[in-house]
Amino acid sequence: MRIFAPNEVVAKSRYWYFLSKLHKAKRANGEIVSINEIFEEKPLVVKNYGIWLRYDSRSGTHNMYKEFRETSRAAAVESCYQDMAARHRARFSSVQIIRVATVKASEVRRPYISQLVSRSLKFPLPHRVQRPASKADRSLLIAQRPSTFY
Amino acid sequence: MAQTARKNQLAPGISRLSRSKVFSKRAAYKIAKTAQPKAEEAPAKAKKVTRAKKGDLVAALTAKHSALHPANVVPQPKAGRKTQRTQGLRKSITPGTVLILLAGRFRGKRVVFLKQLSSGLLLVTGPFKINGVPLRRVNQAYVIATSTKVDLSGVSVDAKFDDAYFKREEEAKLKGTEEEFFGKSATKKEAPAHKVADQKEADKAVVAAVAKVPFLASYLASTFSLTKGQAPHSLKF
Amino acid sequence: MQGSFKRLVEVGRVVLVTKGADAGKIATIVDIVDHNRAIIDGPTTSVARQVIAYKNVVLTDIVVKNLPRTIGSKALAKVLEKDQIAETWQKTAWAQKLEARKRRAAMSDFDRFKLMRLKKQQRFIVDRQVALLRKERA
Repeated sequence: MRIFAPNEVVAKSRYWYFLSKLHKAKRANGEIVSINEIFEEKPLVVKNYGIWLRYDSRSGTHNMYKEFRETSRAAAVESCYQDMAARHRARFSSVQIIRVATVKASEVRRPYISQLVSRSLKFPLPHRVQRPASKADRSLLIAQRPSTFY
Repeated sequence: MAQTARKNQLAPGISRLSRSKVFSKRAAYKIAKTAQPKAEEAPAKAKKVTRAKKGDLVAALTAKHSALHPANVVPQPKAGRKTQRTQGLRKSITPGTVLILLAGRFRGKRVVFLKQLSSGLLLVTGPFKINGVPLRRVNQAYVIATSTKVDLSGVSVDAKFDDAYFKREEEAKLKGTEEEFFGKSATKKEAPAHKVADQKEADKAVVAAVAKVPFLASYLASTFSLTKGQAPHSLKF
Repeated sequence: MQGSFKRLVEVGRVVLVTKGADAGKIATIVDIVDHNRAIIDGPTTSVARQVIAYKNVVLTDIVVKNLPRTIGSKALAKVLEKDQIAETWQKTAWAQKLEARKRRAAMSDFDRFKLMRLKKQQRFIVDRQVALLRKERA
């Protein structure tokens, strides 16, 4: 079983939770033999991930499909949880990841991802305030408003 | 309030009054001092103190001790096991290093380090001819060591420049006289002739070494100060 | 071109890292993650391939032309070598300013004094010539 969790303790807990949904088994009658963290094979290649999930809102349970552009599966799930918390106020406990898969560029469904998959992607960074690298070098008061031209 | 007895103790072994207080309370200063037969007592005491060796263990065990404890228990101060050592020299300071003085009447001056004296103080010289700083002792805590070095290889510092050399000469006291009160001694003291000669002798080699490097003499002649935007902790010296 | 914006986030754009262990080094964008992050690589400037936020880099005017997306480190090093990107960067006023700042910070007390004296000498010569010219003119 593949579980997405911030640490081993939570991973074990989620494992028993999902196992009890699938089989008639519980923690008292079993033992976890091994637990391994799965690392991304190519963590420096950008991929489009599709995530199917189900979550309990205040009024009911919903299924969802979301897309993310990340370099690893774990990072995609992480930002998915952040996104669910932000947009739907859904906590970790009320979100269940059903499936995570990489999606080919041609099969991307969401516009916010499809705008990024173009081969010749180019965009400006409008409105930037350039700041010194360390906070110590920042001045407390400056006479001019910062230039945001970039 | 009742008077506290003189013999009262704060804690066992610590009397309430100090020795000098007791001395004055007893008015002991009124009692004429009499020479005490110290010479007789001393060897007897020494015998008691010596530890019994293996051979005279029997003697030690059977020795008669005085039934009385000493009446006056004087707390003995603990002997310190630490020794005072002179401060080590900072790594960045080697003979010939240009130092910036931070305190004293020559603060801001850049001087040349010669050697460390046995007291831990640094022997420096201006040289006097260049910036008016004489041979002088300075504390290394009040000094910035720069990375600039005057090449003093082959230059030896006279051994007579030690801590005793720089000791202040005792002045004849004019206490209580009219002269002292009205500050007639305000006339400038002349530097002793032998010190002037010593200064010249010691500086000769240093000045010659300084002259070999362009700008170094005027660098030593100038004083150090911070300007706008300079933070001493982030500066490289 | 998009309007008046001169520097765009694109594959091949050379960036200056401003934060972290690689601060002060240049690297090249090899892939774009999203509108906040990109993958940069600097095989010639010892910047490891990494995901970095645009917040922590500054885009430069230099672009490696026709760089394919997700190019490998070794191939990128060759391209950078061929296009003389490091030299181009060194020639910019920006790089020279950074270099000068670094050199100035590394100066010792004596060096600062010598610089002051030499500048004085330079000023003396220039001012003298200017005064002479002014006299001639008048």
